[in-house]
Amino acid sequence: MGLEVLKNFDENNNYWLVKPVGDVDVYTSTEFKKILLDLIDEKVVDIYIDGEMLEYIDSTGLGVLISILKQLKEHDKKIIISDIKPSIKRLFELTSLNKVIVIKE
Amino acid sequence: MIDSIKLSISSDIENMAEYMGVIRLTTSAISNKIGLNIDDIDDIKVSIGEACTNIIKHGIVGKKGDIDINYSLYPDRLTISVKDKGNGFDIKDIKEPNIEELNESGLGIFIIKSLMDQVDIISTEDGTEIKMTKIKNY
Repeated sequence: MGLEVLKNFDENNNYWLVKPVGDVDVYTSTEFKKILLDLIDEKVVDIYIDGEMLEYIDSTGLGVLISILKQLKEHDKKIIISDIKPSIKRLFELTSLNKVIVIKE
Repeated sequence: MIDSIKLSISSDIENMAEYMGVIRLTTSAISNKIGLNIDDIDDIKVSIGEACTNIIKHGIVGKKGDIDINYSLYPDRLTISVKDKGNGFDIKDIKEPNIEELNESGLGIFIIKSLMDQVDIISTEDGTEIKMTKIKNY
């Protein structure tokens, strides 16, 4: 339970590589949002989320992604997410978030 | 009905969110007990999470809040009732989200309705109850 977020700038691909470990829910989403906002404050580039260790995300977590995406889109940047669990992928499809966020297998 | 289980949480509003993990784990253990499969348990876990998140965001008046969860265990289904003592809301205000508009809110109830087999929402000025059922059809 809880959330740890690993992050670093990938110079080869010119994106922020973000790896959330744990749950992004109503308890942790404020912190998650702040971390992402700080990153795009530092450098506005694409955000690549490695979802391998993302155990759970709820609507507040999805809300954070939507809000960050809104800001990135103003600069023609995007969010990519990869290696998410089937249950999380389903949530992206259900909410049509897969139409605005790039999901990689 | 064979059994029922009650889970009642009373906490300061700023600490309530810390209990989300406990609520999800408890719910998954109960779902597992009646033999629901992993996919259904995941659906229930997300739905209970959304129902409680809704309470934390909208259903607590003042500094201290209550979440009352009632699990009804049947051989072929699990019904979960989640209640708050907030001011309630107009059910007609629940819209289907349009993702192209990039709205950050309004996803919770939509997710519950999509994942559970039956969902009833009763909201009055004394509080809101979300009653949701997952049917075990195997």
